[in-house]
Amino acid sequence: MIQQEIPGKPITVTINGKEYRANEGEILLSVAIREKIEIPHLCYEASLDPYGACRLCMVEVVRKGKREMATSCTLRAADGLEVLTDTPEIVKHRSILFELYLAEAPKSDVIRDMAARYGVTRTRFLKRIEQGDPLGNKCVLCGLCVRACSEIMGAGAINFINRGPYTVVNTPYYAPSRDCFGCGACVRVCPTNAIEMEDAGAERVMKSWSGTRVPLSPCECCGRYYAPRELSASVLARLDTPLKEEIARLCPECRGKHIAREEILAKHGGSAKHA
Amino acid sequence: MRIVSAADMEKVSRSGLRKIRPEKPRIAVGLATCGIAVGGMRVYDRIKEIIGEENPDIELARVGCIGYCREEPLVNITIPGKPLVILHRVTPGDAEEIVRAVEKGEVPVEKALCRIPLWDHITGCTQEYGAGFDGIPRYEDVPFFSHQKKVILRNSGLINPEQIDEYIAIGGYAAALKALSGMAPEAIIDEVEKSGLRGRGGAGFPTGLKWRIARNAEGDRKFVICNADEGDPGAYMNRNEMESDPHMVLEGMLIGAYAIGVSEGLIYIRAEYPLAIRRLQTAIGQAREYGLLGKDIFGTGFSFDIGIATGAGAFVCGESTALVASIEGRTGRPHPRPPRLTDPGGGLFGYPTDLNNVESWCNIPVIISKGSKWYAGIGAKGNSGTKVFSLVGKVDRVGLVEVPLGTSLNTIVFTIGNGGAGNKKVKAVQTGGPSGGCIPARLFDTPVDYESLNRIGSIMGSGGIVVMDEDTDMVDIARYFINFAASESCGKCVPCREGLKHTLLILNKILAKKATKKDLEILSDLTETIVATSLCGLGQTAPNPVLTTLAYFRDEYDALVNP
Amino acid sequence: MDERTLDAIIARHDAPAGRLLGILGEIQNQEGYVSRETLEMLSEKVGVRISQLYGLATFYSYFTLRPVGDHVITICMGTACHVKGAVAILEALEGLLGIKSDVTDDGKLSITTIDRKFTVEIARCFGACSMAPVLRIDGNLYGYATPEDLPGILGEYGWKP
Repeated sequence: MIQQEIPGKPITVTINGKEYRANEGEILLSVAIREKIEIPHLCYEASLDPYGACRLCMVEVVRKGKREMATSCTLRAADGLEVLTDTPEIVKHRSILFELYLAEAPKSDVIRDMAARYGVTRTRFLKRIEQGDPLGNKCVLCGLCVRACSEIMGAGAINFINRGPYTVVNTPYYAPSRDCFGCGACVRVCPTNAIEMEDAGAERVMKSWSGTRVPLSPCECCGRYYAPRELSASVLARLDTPLKEEIARLCPECRGKHIAREEILAKHGGSAKHA
Repeated sequence: MRIVSAADMEKVSRSGLRKIRPEKPRIAVGLATCGIAVGGMRVYDRIKEIIGEENPDIELARVGCIGYCREEPLVNITIPGKPLVILHRVTPGDAEEIVRAVEKGEVPVEKALCRIPLWDHITGCTQEYGAGFDGIPRYEDVPFFSHQKKVILRNSGLINPEQIDEYIAIGGYAAALKALSGMAPEAIIDEVEKSGLRGRGGAGFPTGLKWRIARNAEGDRKFVICNADEGDPGAYMNRNEMESDPHMVLEGMLIGAYAIGVSEGLIYIRAEYPLAIRRLQTAIGQAREYGLLGKDIFGTGFSFDIGIATGAGAFVCGESTALVASIEGRTGRPHPRPPRLTDPGGGLFGYPTDLNNVESWCNIPVIISKGSKWYAGIGAKGNSGTKVFSLVGKVDRVGLVEVPLGTSLNTIVFTIGNGGAGNKKVKAVQTGGPSGGCIPARLFDTPVDYESLNRIGSIMGSGGIVVMDEDTDMVDIARYFINFAASESCGKCVPCREGLKHTLLILNKILAKKATKKDLEILSDLTETIVATSLCGLGQTAPNPVLTTLAYFRDEYDALVNP
Repeated sequence: MDERTLDAIIARHDAPAGRLLGILGEIQNQEGYVSRETLEMLSEKVGVRISQLYGLATFYSYFTLRPVGDHVITICMGTACHVKGAVAILEALEGLLGIKSDVTDDGKLSITTIDRKFTVEIARCFGACSMAPVLRIDGNLYGYATPEDLPGILGEYGWKP
């Protein structure tokens, strides 16, 4: 589900002993991000419901003298909320989690750098190295690609397959998808850059998704293939105010040149440069 | 016809009584899944063959299971005026002898397990069968039964689960009539709270409180769900409850729905229980025919109906948010709380939802019928009522055991269960399924109640008690459970998915005698993190078998580990 | 599965609660497995993305995506069965049928003999724990099973040594 929340009333929360302003109901992790307080996280995306899968964003909530661990992505700011982000308990568990991540995504430099930042540079667990892994041994199964594809883009081309330690993300039957329209939201949202996508001539190849190929449309002016055809058409059809015909199927560069030319002609009635 | 009043109920009750206590002898074969699996159907068919299709002199019926599984197939004989007699280990070859005896108003004494002169069905009627057959031991004197207290299993094995009239004959749906036409919803919730009933699925959350929260949740549309997933391997209490007495589940849900203010109920049942599914479907159909489910029940204006949703082989779907996801047609991946199931936005299709275990629902008609004070008088402090346990594994007397909460493990395993099978020494029991722990024999004086089991590192769980003996390798048991949890993990969160995978690898290494002391340290660190950081109860409790075997059977680990 | 049969199954599950798993469950029960053709047909008919249906079919253990043999043998690997020797039953079965039952990379275990007569699968628990170890063949339960019983039981289904 997409977050469409009306901000609640202004309140104060305490993080690591310091007070910060927040809106009631705001997700604590997002408050921390805004205030530049470092809490590691992988599966959080502001435009999606909190997911709670990566478990890295855990903090300790102090309530009536007792401390309890909770994920900050599911914690909502309320007046008087007090949390601690780097207690020995958190550090201990976080380190083990990073060791698990290093074993799970041994080829991911994002994970390697994040773990190192929190003091973990090696793992005692057996590393998972799969020959020919379509996600380059970088996937941490955070679910962002699946959720972006389904909930934000409405395509639902990829999904989790199997469960438990056999879980992977890919297209059904590992076959090229008929539902993918090549928007690349999955690539954008992946926190470990595990997903590979490449434009090859008139097609966009979703290399990680079983060779799914999506036709691109060529620019009517320069001929360069610049956008997935189906996506482009559906976006154009959904605009409240339709684009002018002469620029609707131009690549961004040519569109820009065309608009500039029109503006200049309108302004000067001739060349802007020469008298 | 629709049952709208006590008079209507009385009419049906009399008809049902004529089926349970016909004026001719009745032979009833125990046909729940276990009974059928050991040949009960063949016994039934052979008896039918001998007495003929429609015999005017002998009634042949099917009943559920009274719980003495080791002695199945079981057959009940009711001779008018004489005690009910239970025959055990009946084979098709015995059928001839049984019929000949019954024709003479007798029973084959050598096949008799016990006799029942009188039986209290708790919810409104006591059957007085009669006197006689003094040579046969009484039910109360059978060691397996003598320390049990049948409250939930009050009808199982005695009535035909596919005959609603028999359920009504022993007082069924009278509690529902009392509740819907004579009590306010708040008063019902009060009674359930005062009874002290705690969730029988394992968490032990006070049922009345959960109902109150659900009732107070904002919104007009809500759901009640019965959790009949029973995923713990070794636990089959709920299966028997549904196969032997499905109507008590429906009646409990009817009363609960009225109390909370709900018109839609669902039973989420595992696909691996086809007979239970069929018996529930039949029961729902029969209840609807009498107007006990559907619109304007008892003419009170209250409407409620129940649907069935099947699971598909995922232990994690016993977790409430995963269960709801499963009903919604999604994979069973739990979601973080808040929102809770009872919150607006948190339940089925986003509506506040009350979820209770099968056995919790079964207790409701008893509480309304006998009153909260009676119910709270059974069991221990803070742990009222009885609980059905499945006593299985390396124990002599295998079966379903119903005892007041607070009964000790000694009583269950040794007095009722008669200790180790084949004269082997009992080493430990596992309670609470894969989320529970192994308890060594030296701690068997522990009372079986929620807190006492928690204190020694285990949990009550849904009621499975697996007995292990001197030949059982406890490290192998730990590995068995981790393997189970790892493959049942939904795979969403890292500590459970990756953590259990590596826990399994380490246990395999230990069992292969390739591990060192360092590996035991890693095992300890890893399991602690899995417990502390997993998203849901599966991950949070999966390490319990490892933690308890490490605590109580450390020597077995040390023997396998290199320095 | 032919279209009419699928339509009938879909018609029997019109309430939204439990609909998809109910339909998939019936397909599994009728055909012994969930075929790709049937899943794609179902996707069209109920308007649910194939990726969601495939996700369901691979997540839940009750569904098999591989075709099965003439007879399906399911061994219970529940706790009581494990404690009473289920592993020995599985190993004996492997020996008798000439198969190696390793868990495949989708986490499910479903191995079919070369002559396609028998498929071996495992179950978590049938709830018949009092009769451990338990074996099911084509819906018939066999309790108190021992490796020695197996040739006789399999013989009922046409197995010959």
